[in-house]
Amino acid sequence: MDELSVIEARRLASEDTQQPDTQTPGANLDSELWIDRYRPKRFVDLLGDERLHREVTTWVKEWDHCVFGKRKAKRKTREDEGGNYLPEDEYHRPNEKSSNFIQKLVQLTYDRPFKDRRKKQKGGKRPLLRPIICICNDLYAASLAKLRPVARIVRFTRPADIHIVKRLRDVCEYEDLKAEPRALSTLVAIALGDLRGCLNTLQFIKSRNQQVTEQMIRMATAGMKENESSFLNVLNNLFLPMSKKRIKELGLGEEEETKYVDRLSRELDGSGALDRIATGCFEHYAKRHQHDATFSKYLKANEWLVSYDLLSNRMRSEQEYALMPYLSYMLVPFYPLFQERGGERVERPKADWETYVKTKANEEIYKSLAHAVRTGNGRRTGHYRDLVSEQILHLEFAPYLNRIISPPLRPVNSQVIRPEEKAILSRLVNIMVSLELRFVQEKAEDGQLMYRLDPPIDVFVTYDGKRAADIAVSRYAVRHLVAAEIDAQLITRQAEAVERSKASRPSFFGQRPAEDDADVVEGDGIDPEGEGTLGRAGPDEQRPRKKAKKVDIADKPAVDFFGRLIVPKAATTGTKPNSAAARKQPEKAYKVSYKYNEGNSAAVRKPVKVSSFL
Amino acid sequence: MLWVDLYRPRALDDLDYHAGLSDRLKSLAASGDFPHMLFYGPSGAGKKTRIAATLRQLFGPGVEKLKIDQRVFLTPSRRKLDVNIVQSNYHIELTPSEVGNYDRIVIQEVLKEIAQTQQVDLSARHRFKVVVINEADSLSRDAQAALRRTMEKYMSNMRIILCANSTSRLIAPIKSRCLLMRVAAPNHDEMHKVLLRVADKAGIRGGIPDEAADEIIKDANGNLRKAILVFERSKCRRAPDLTGPLTIAKPDWETYCHKVADMIVQEQSPQRVMDVRAKFYELLSHCIPPTVILKTVADRVVERVDEALKADIMHWAAIYENRMRLGNKKIYHLEAWVVKVMSLYKHFLFDIDMTGFDD
Repeated sequence: MDELSVIEARRLASEDTQQPDTQTPGANLDSELWIDRYRPKRFVDLLGDERLHREVTTWVKEWDHCVFGKRKAKRKTREDEGGNYLPEDEYHRPNEKSSNFIQKLVQLTYDRPFKDRRKKQKGGKRPLLRPIICICNDLYAASLAKLRPVARIVRFTRPADIHIVKRLRDVCEYEDLKAEPRALSTLVAIALGDLRGCLNTLQFIKSRNQQVTEQMIRMATAGMKENESSFLNVLNNLFLPMSKKRIKELGLGEEEETKYVDRLSRELDGSGALDRIATGCFEHYAKRHQHDATFSKYLKANEWLVSYDLLSNRMRSEQEYALMPYLSYMLVPFYPLFQERGGERVERPKADWETYVKTKANEEIYKSLAHAVRTGNGRRTGHYRDLVSEQILHLEFAPYLNRIISPPLRPVNSQVIRPEEKAILSRLVNIMVSLELRFVQEKAEDGQLMYRLDPPIDVFVTYDGKRAADIAVSRYAVRHLVAAEIDAQLITRQAEAVERSKASRPSFFGQRPAEDDADVVEGDGIDPEGEGTLGRAGPDEQRPRKKAKKVDIADKPAVDFFGRLIVPKAATTGTKPNSAAARKQPEKAYKVSYKYNEGNSAAVRKPVKVSSFL
Repeated sequence: MLWVDLYRPRALDDLDYHAGLSDRLKSLAASGDFPHMLFYGPSGAGKKTRIAATLRQLFGPGVEKLKIDQRVFLTPSRRKLDVNIVQSNYHIELTPSEVGNYDRIVIQEVLKEIAQTQQVDLSARHRFKVVVINEADSLSRDAQAALRRTMEKYMSNMRIILCANSTSRLIAPIKSRCLLMRVAAPNHDEMHKVLLRVADKAGIRGGIPDEAADEIIKDANGNLRKAILVFERSKCRRAPDLTGPLTIAKPDWETYCHKVADMIVQEQSPQRVMDVRAKFYELLSHCIPPTVILKTVADRVVERVDEALKADIMHWAAIYENRMRLGNKKIYHLEAWVVKVMSLYKHFLFDIDMTGFDD
């Protein structure tokens, strides 16, 4: 709101979106609004910081090259018209929510640099040849976040009251309206420098009277539009009484000064950020260290917050937006409860947002854990799936899993480990492998090496930054040992998978089922002896991927659609072999060679038999 | 593999307790007339184990060939919803509450799809497919209403098995369309039996000592899953046998909740309100459901205060829990309850002081 555009032309252009509250009957009288009549037509008419205006004009002129190009003549005429030059293309931001629109704008600006280079590209968009000028009240609105970096920001500040008063006096002279000097300055003060509002009020008064007095101003501005004030201002107004200066500006009597409901509820509605204000109230009220022996104020404050929450939630879930006007009244009571002259300013609430961000991050960790539990290591049999339904996962599984995977182990070499410790270790490794938990080596900020659990499920036993006391801190050496064992386990599984694929290959082509229904394949991924038993995590997925990629497709062990090995079921026999192609393939199957494409010497790049890798 | 899953009974005959229930399920599966069912009971009592066993009884081991995939549903407002679906040739399992308020869409889409496809496997034992709906008690009203119609309409080629903790949040028309199966929490002896079996299968020499088992069972409070998790954890901590006193660590969130409760009882001041709030935020950010927080803290507070206050504190906890469900910002309600309790407590102390002055 600080940046009221002073170039009235622009301000007025957005008139259709912001119809002033004071409807002017003068329009009938004169069929023209003063704001139109006194809209500045030339550069010199502009009110406000002149240097700023010059800057903007220079910027606009820089566009001439793009905008006019061949149409120089047109520009000439415009210049002849009077030397003033105002931007043509104006986009009005229709609504805060129109992120699509903003998106489009940003896109347009990005198109430009590419265009110059690739003009040939067919069907491409034309380069942006017009300046885009956006006008906003709140520069830091969330919807503008993307636009800000690509835009040149010109900040208009409210011109000094004295200039506005002077301009108003000029207008009054033109219109034969006698104005007390004090009346005009009062008007400007009440309107907080809103020139359009002032002009409308004056025209309104003119339609009835021939002169303006302070008294009339007070009457006329009674229903004047409150300036849109920022969320933080409104929040402060809830906790701090009105400043003496503002009271004087508004000319309120002692009795009026104490009235607050109307004033505050209107401000709250105008802010358009009720939820955030509610959060702000919640965050702030307990910081007022007021003496409240029985907590009666706190009780009331919480009652109001709870009611606000219930009402707003009901409104949203049932889409009863007729309730909207009542919402602000739920927050007004914070004023009588907690207002205090000279209290500290309210800060932007952040605890709620921080919690939200943290919750989201933790939910992601839970999700990755749940995913690993469901389908970890190629296990497709749905074991464990009960454990990951939300409540159980959060309340029981995560805390105990953390304890199960941190048994007391001594940091010793895996070769000299005692048998009972060996058993613990191997069990731990099994569990961790089957749940896709790993220790990942990382460098801490001080350069020290450490092992981090991945996914970091240990956050769920960490409250206030402290780990649970009953879980032994696992030392680097222990984690190193475990990590090595996990890697070893994974490698053995890979090797097993390769072995199995080798063994299954010759018999495979003779038995290929004629058609592979997706469901059947699903079952085929599971080796027959494991059917119906538990404790077997299909390691098929662990085949070395890189090797498989380079081998001729015909020589690869047959896999199903998902890349898993098809192991024939003992039961499925008798399906017809797939004639010619299938019979030819087994002969080729053993001529496998592998060639490194990278490497400096021919010694490395020479073809090597795949069998020498196995 | 964890023991909870490794030693889970797979068939109705293998179940360790509730033999009567198993018999009923067996005869139901054998009769050609299998109804819609609603399994309910406390967490960790064995509902899902029984559902899986029943399915196996119905269709044979084929139901254990599962595939898991993630389906994407589109809301009318073009938001994408990811739902994990577990299915075999004979049944499909889903947890619609994963998507919160949009569960109706998931229910409708999935059920329609199942209902409109006939069983293609000619060797299947039954013509119908089974839909297992987990966490049925957190289904929204809309979703329950959608369910109610489909349950009648597509009875010919679909049966629904609902799984819920309690029936209180299910609408009556759904309850009346289902055969209600209560799976009660196992009692002390039953749990002991199960623990012994697990110890036996896990090859623990000497089994599980009675004192240790007692401790675990007492702590688990009827939740067998928790008991087995704790058992496995204790085993990990102190190999190879479990003799000697056993300290059972509570889950961290529970310890933390208890700390919060102690803070409330110790001091009632604005500063304390802020401190407690920070703790609540910490708990919420660990994805602990606010109703659980409220319940745990309230239980603990009640333990620590005077008899005269207990009823009031629980009363208000119930009220704020209800409001919490209706509302959106959970933290407001949690704090409102804390302030209420602090105020009650202060009033209580105040009164005592006054009588002291009178004497």
